[in-house]
Amino acid sequence: MTTTAMTAIETEDRRQYRATRRRDFAVDLSMALATILAALVIGFLVMLATGNDPVRAYEVMLTGPLERSFRVGRWLEDATTLTLLGLSVAIPFRARQISLGAESQVYAGALAAATVAIFVPLPPVVAVIVPMAAAAAAGAGMGLVPGAMKARLGANEIVATLMLNAIVVRVYDYLVNGPLKESGSSAVHSKSIQQDSALTPLSDWFGVPLGRANIGFGVMLLTAAALWLLITRTPLGYRIRMTGANPDFAAYGGIRVPRVIEWSFVIGGAVAGLAGAHLVQGVYGRLEPGLAGSLAFEGIVVALLARNNPLVVVIAGLFYSYLRAGGDIMEQQTDVGTEIVVVIQAVIVLLVTAQALPNLLKRRIARRQVGVR
Amino acid sequence: MMNEPWGKAGPAVAARQVTKTYANGVRAVRSVDLEVPPGEIRAVVGENGAGKSTLMKMFYGLEQPSAGAILVGGRPRVLRGPASAIALGVGMVHQNLMLVPSFTVAQNVVLGVEPGRRGLVDPKAAVERTARLAEESGLTVDPRARVEEVSVGMRQRTEILKALHRKARVLILDEPTAVLTPQETEDLFAAVRRLRDGGMTVLFISHKLREVREISDKVSVMRAGSLVGTVATADATERSLASMMVGRDLSLDVERSPARPTETTLRVRCLGYEAATGQWLHGLDFDVAAGEIVGVAGIEGNGQSELAEILAGLRRPSTGTVHLDGTDTAGLDVAGHRRAGIGYVPEDRLYNGAALDASIADNLVVDRHDRPPLARRGVLYPGAVRAHAEELIGEYAIRTPDPSVPVRALSGGNLQKVIVARELSAGPRLLIASQVTRGVDIGAMRFMYERLVAARDAGAAVLLISADLTELLGLSDRLLVLKDGRLVARFDDTTGLTEKRVGLYMLGVEEHGRDRLTVGLDTLTAGPEDPGETT
Repeated sequence: MTTTAMTAIETEDRRQYRATRRRDFAVDLSMALATILAALVIGFLVMLATGNDPVRAYEVMLTGPLERSFRVGRWLEDATTLTLLGLSVAIPFRARQISLGAESQVYAGALAAATVAIFVPLPPVVAVIVPMAAAAAAGAGMGLVPGAMKARLGANEIVATLMLNAIVVRVYDYLVNGPLKESGSSAVHSKSIQQDSALTPLSDWFGVPLGRANIGFGVMLLTAAALWLLITRTPLGYRIRMTGANPDFAAYGGIRVPRVIEWSFVIGGAVAGLAGAHLVQGVYGRLEPGLAGSLAFEGIVVALLARNNPLVVVIAGLFYSYLRAGGDIMEQQTDVGTEIVVVIQAVIVLLVTAQALPNLLKRRIARRQVGVR
Repeated sequence: MMNEPWGKAGPAVAARQVTKTYANGVRAVRSVDLEVPPGEIRAVVGENGAGKSTLMKMFYGLEQPSAGAILVGGRPRVLRGPASAIALGVGMVHQNLMLVPSFTVAQNVVLGVEPGRRGLVDPKAAVERTARLAEESGLTVDPRARVEEVSVGMRQRTEILKALHRKARVLILDEPTAVLTPQETEDLFAAVRRLRDGGMTVLFISHKLREVREISDKVSVMRAGSLVGTVATADATERSLASMMVGRDLSLDVERSPARPTETTLRVRCLGYEAATGQWLHGLDFDVAAGEIVGVAGIEGNGQSELAEILAGLRRPSTGTVHLDGTDTAGLDVAGHRRAGIGYVPEDRLYNGAALDASIADNLVVDRHDRPPLARRGVLYPGAVRAHAEELIGEYAIRTPDPSVPVRALSGGNLQKVIVARELSAGPRLLIASQVTRGVDIGAMRFMYERLVAARDAGAAVLLISADLTELLGLSDRLLVLKDGRLVARFDDTTGLTEKRVGLYMLGVEEHGRDRLTVGLDTLTAGPEDPGETT
């Protein structure tokens, strides 16, 4: 048509456009690495300023987790839980629902998995699967509550999920300290699960001691792949994406937005429930107080770092866990505490969520190209 | 507030080799030289995206030039923001009026430069000041009325008075007539002339060439960021201006054979709508037949949006019935309306017409993502979605290097093509086209017109809702007028109908009787559903 009113992209042909996309991807990737580097530099300076030996601390932190096979196991076990929790919030995030309910879902999942795995006698294999299914169902139910409150009643999902967390965590504590506490034990924990319900340790497969790492790691990878397929290859995934991109557009196009919101919470809840099952059947073998630690919260960070792409969540989860594992070893072997890891993580989160560096660089490049043209 | 001194002679405002390149690489303005002497009404015309708004924003300090200089009062100036422009005597009235709705007209006029002493505002002085400015300029307002209760026309006059109160010597009007009726437009023009005669310099942005011819002394034409030329209005015709704007001869008159309406597709009876927000509707009765374009005229906010959204299933009517091809649409959800054969081009494409960060391909399938050939047995095939997009991109001449481009990167007219492509490719029985050419360039505008007529000729019923009377009169086979949520006029033959005449009905000066409004309509009662009447 006319030659007027063209935006930059409209003037490109397909070859140029692909080149631009490749360039933007390269920028994103190198910026991710630069961000990590910048965070490490800041951590370095902090350690220097506090009178520690940063070179030694970093050496321990960055190589420590790979030095012994059981440390690798510790890393993978932690990464499994963390990534599952990251995936669990990534799905509602894709529908633009700020779900902070992973904590209630993971504890509900742990309770369900433990109840089945401790008290219900089941044949082998089924004894592994049924508690996991129960955990997923419990997590899904725990997701449905705030999901329906948001979708049907217009409740604020942040408040709803946080309040539900408070309730479920207290109930969990009560049960572990009371009815489910192993009688005759001085420490607070439940009875151990039946042997058949345990997730097979990876040590058995690889023949090297890998600590508590178990086939839950494989379940996590499969879950990530399944969620990626859900988002990109199913009508429901499309509805989740459009609801997240513009709910008014989705409604205009005939998508039932409330139902999509509920589904996003339910799917996320089920995945968090699986994380609970992994903790019970794979890591601790029983219920313990506060067994998810701060992982539910850190899962949110992982999802944000990965921009809610399920496959990238795996990478972000592995990376984040690696820092956690390295931080623990650093604390054991040097005078530097794990706080420095928190500083590094926080700097990365700030830089990544602000998207400051990549946007700045892309703009620079675009401007220079216009100048050349 | 004291204005900074102006030079004795020279232009009131000028641009010297001004270039503006946006951060995303779009060069909106290219080496523009423009001079406007004091006391002149200068129209600046151009298609959407031609750069006229960007140039005006630089005069008002909202944008800073990447190269070149902006001159105000004969001297080069650095305008860091609107505040420095105002201090130099430049005022701007935006397309979207920027007033405080809960304040009175007078409070809005003096806002920021209030009369009074020691931090206290003198409300009486504010009213007096506003009344005096209104008197002097001929811009009639009620100083004590609250802005949210007055007409759009009065809000606009309030904006102009606000600029006058700040001692503006240059007034930039950005598409001021877009929201006005023909009568209000005339009043505005009279006031603008009076201001000009008092020494005011007026920059008048528009793409309505007829109005430009009527009001301006000279016309500057912009195309693709460059200034094509400046001509004395007396020497210009609408045709010559249009060809300057687009770079070649292009007429907006759509060739259109007389409509051949067949059976009734849309039947609306006693339609009423009452809600906490929005304009209520009262007892609407009308038909739209297959193969005709029925226009809906009216000043914006008289129920057009509500009517369109009810017909599209986005709102539920309070009373009355809507039948599409004999099927009652009550109880159908949005998807049900779409399945029944309703297509809808929404009035605000950025609000709900598109998901801006999603790709063109994804935007094209929102109503069909869950059925073959795109999805089978719960699996969505990205390859099929992409192929579907490639096809529509070709068929509707959507300008893009790739279907994966997010629609945010598209210009207005191009984005509208995506929406129209989606709605028309669904093969609707009824197409509701709301403000279909708003903010699109002339090329895209013509394209939309041709497509609407083609859809009509292919047997679709078209309900065309627009704020642009020229467009309505040019395309509609029949025309309805909405005022305060009621139908007040019905023209079954639009030949010879003038904008002025329709304007009288839009304003409520004249009204058709109920007999004329409902002539030829069957069953006017919207009683309980009668199974026998689905003919």
